[in-house]
Amino acid sequence: MQPTNRVQPGDRAPRTAVRQKVLALAIGLFVLVGSRASAAQETPPRGNSCVSCHSTQLDQRLVNPTRLFGGQDVHREKGFECVDCHGGSPASPDKASAHDASGRIAAMAFRGKPAGQALIATCARCHSDAELMRSYAPKQRVDQATEYAASVHGKRLAAGDTKVATCASCHGAHGIRLVSDARSPVFPTNVAGTCATCHADEKRMAGYTLADGSPLPTHQFNDYRTSIHYNALTKGNDLAAPTCNDCHGNHGAAPPNVGAVANVCGTCHAVFAQKFAASVHQPIFDKGCVECHNNHAVVKPSDQMLSAAAPGVCQPCHNGDDKTDKGAAAAGGMRAGMERLKDEIDRSGALLAGLQNAGIAVSDQQLALREAGSKLTLARTEMHGFDPALVAPILGDGMKIVAAVDRAGQAGRAELSFRRRGLFLSLGAILIFVVALGLKVRQIDRRDHERQAPSATV
Amino acid sequence: MNVIDWVDERLDLTEVRHFVAEKGVPVHAQKIWYYLGGMTLFLFGVQVFTGILLLLYYRPSAAEAYESVQFIVTQVQFGWLIRNVHSWSANLLIGLAFAHFFSVFFLKSYRKPRELTWVSGMLLLFLMLGFGFSGYLLPWNELSFFATKVGTGIAGAVPVIGHFSLRLLRSGDDVTGATLSRFYGLHVAVLPAIASALVALHLLFVQRQGMSVPPAVEKRLKPGERLPQMPFFPNYILRDVLAWYVVIAVLAALAAFYPWELGTKADPFAVVPPGIRPEWYFLAMFHTLKLVPSHVLGIEGERLGVVVFGIAALFLVLVPFVDRRASRGESSRFFTVLAAAGLIYLVTFTIIGHYAK
Repeated sequence: MQPTNRVQPGDRAPRTAVRQKVLALAIGLFVLVGSRASAAQETPPRGNSCVSCHSTQLDQRLVNPTRLFGGQDVHREKGFECVDCHGGSPASPDKASAHDASGRIAAMAFRGKPAGQALIATCARCHSDAELMRSYAPKQRVDQATEYAASVHGKRLAAGDTKVATCASCHGAHGIRLVSDARSPVFPTNVAGTCATCHADEKRMAGYTLADGSPLPTHQFNDYRTSIHYNALTKGNDLAAPTCNDCHGNHGAAPPNVGAVANVCGTCHAVFAQKFAASVHQPIFDKGCVECHNNHAVVKPSDQMLSAAAPGVCQPCHNGDDKTDKGAAAAGGMRAGMERLKDEIDRSGALLAGLQNAGIAVSDQQLALREAGSKLTLARTEMHGFDPALVAPILGDGMKIVAAVDRAGQAGRAELSFRRRGLFLSLGAILIFVVALGLKVRQIDRRDHERQAPSATV
Repeated sequence: MNVIDWVDERLDLTEVRHFVAEKGVPVHAQKIWYYLGGMTLFLFGVQVFTGILLLLYYRPSAAEAYESVQFIVTQVQFGWLIRNVHSWSANLLIGLAFAHFFSVFFLKSYRKPRELTWVSGMLLLFLMLGFGFSGYLLPWNELSFFATKVGTGIAGAVPVIGHFSLRLLRSGDDVTGATLSRFYGLHVAVLPAIASALVALHLLFVQRQGMSVPPAVEKRLKPGERLPQMPFFPNYILRDVLAWYVVIAVLAALAAFYPWELGTKADPFAVVPPGIRPEWYFLAMFHTLKLVPSHVLGIEGERLGVVVFGIAALFLVLVPFVDRRASRGESSRFFTVLAAAGLIYLVTFTIIGHYAK
């Protein structure tokens, strides 16, 4: 990479064509080098005084950047060098001229290790430049700096809090990997751990408060690790399962507003959010979905949750012992209906399994039973409208399907009994034949014995 | 003129008539064991008959095998009965073959001049185990898939030719649809062809040499005394038929009241379900291999186990040639004890293997 290609403030198209050719050449070389490329990546880039000087320092803080940048780093792979972020003159052989901060020697004045707003500006110089980014990652957004400015992190930084996270806090400074790289700290499975670096650190979080003035908790990461979301993401390999940034935003990270929780959850759970929005609870539940499902520790929902008695989630507001509590009665009614349908489906499923193993055709009934299962799922979804009148017809449809399956199952059982009766009769016939054969054998033996007896006496 | 006379006039059945009239079966207290061979043969016939019927609908591919068996048991008229009888008959056949083997072993019927009858019988027993092993995979369900993986993996432990035999059995490094095709070919063509030839040979030997009389019975005879004989036709054959009918009754009862489960379709990418074990007739061997330490005297335990089983199988085939005392008509207590020990080992380890986790 030639110094003339350096990105300059205000230089919005830094000889893009030349850079593209160099990039193409670099990619070509990578392909040619093949398996040796990875080994080559482990060695620091050569030919500039930043690397040659820093890699020989005794202080590891000065060596590490060359080591990390010389390894796998998306910027180095695209042809960027130390000078693109730090400025200075890599062609100069001595420390003073290489670190020229006046701009007289270097094309870009040496700026050392950017931090705080300077770091945001350094990254934004390219990442907020739509024209430039199009050359490298055309689909990548260019509003990260704007989003960051609107985030809690950005606002605090603007207010002078230097402890808050900036770009390098999450992405790293050197050895930066693509988000799609599983080893990147911002790869979906690593995001929570990356956020927890600060947010699970009690000492670091000391002094920060929530909107209501209470101390900012640090148990979110531990809570999240008990959730179904974490389980799906890390054990189920479902990269679409949410992690911190999916609810809080990434560059614009902030807690969802109290009234917006349902919208956040509704991003994925759209139908539930829709039912909830029309429900009697919508105006009452300050925290929306979180009221019943928790926020970070979202456990797998179960029918047991729908109850005004422990361990149900209706109990803090509704009292199962109070017969006049309509809410408790509604929850109990819906729960009982769902449990009944579930039990019936299980019972019919067991009946069909037994019949199938016995050789009775039940594939149509199994299909119907799956439809009954869909009705149960539908009822569980409709329940989020908290209106028993809407849930009951769905459960009723499910019960009708199970009843039809049962009728067919009973017919199958009758067929099985018929077969067994038939075989029982066959067994009877065989037994009669065996007895007859036994008598015949005895008769033949007796005849032979009588035939031999006179000759023996002779 | 009846049919036999009609045929006699053209083919001269004098020799056959003579054979039928002359053939006798010795009558003594141990004659009950003679029926086991006939019952095993009858079940072999049942397997051939039901196997051919199943062939009409079975499809030997990973994509269709399970569904075709499901189709047979649910849609085909009496398909459930044929499949259940085939499965139960296979197990009864191997059980009876083992019983026949032990009865012959205890009665020393392998002694001179029946060495070749014994060798052909032992080979038939091994073939029956091969039938069981190859047929088990054909429904392509979860249990059979993983049990075949374990079983063929044991074949991989054979010294020198282990990897080759594993690849030969699996048609690759893993159990796939190609293994299913291979096992199908073995089960319906290769093994039946060899088994039919061996059965014919075994029967020919039995007919030529007649039934063996146990040495203990022979010893009790006075000089010049001959054992009473029962005519084979019709006295003995009718008893044989009676035994076959009992077998049919047992088969029908098992098929009707204990249908052979089809299970769930095999998923090669699924996690190995707990409790995977081979069919009962391999359980003793399987459990023994599980108990062998990972290394014995520097040799891999499983490999050593497989070698020992191989030597034991070879020894069993060669028993008539090793048991010189029996061939001279003398008492050979050592081999009686050996047979008893083998029987106790098989029964005990099969039971332990069944309940082991």
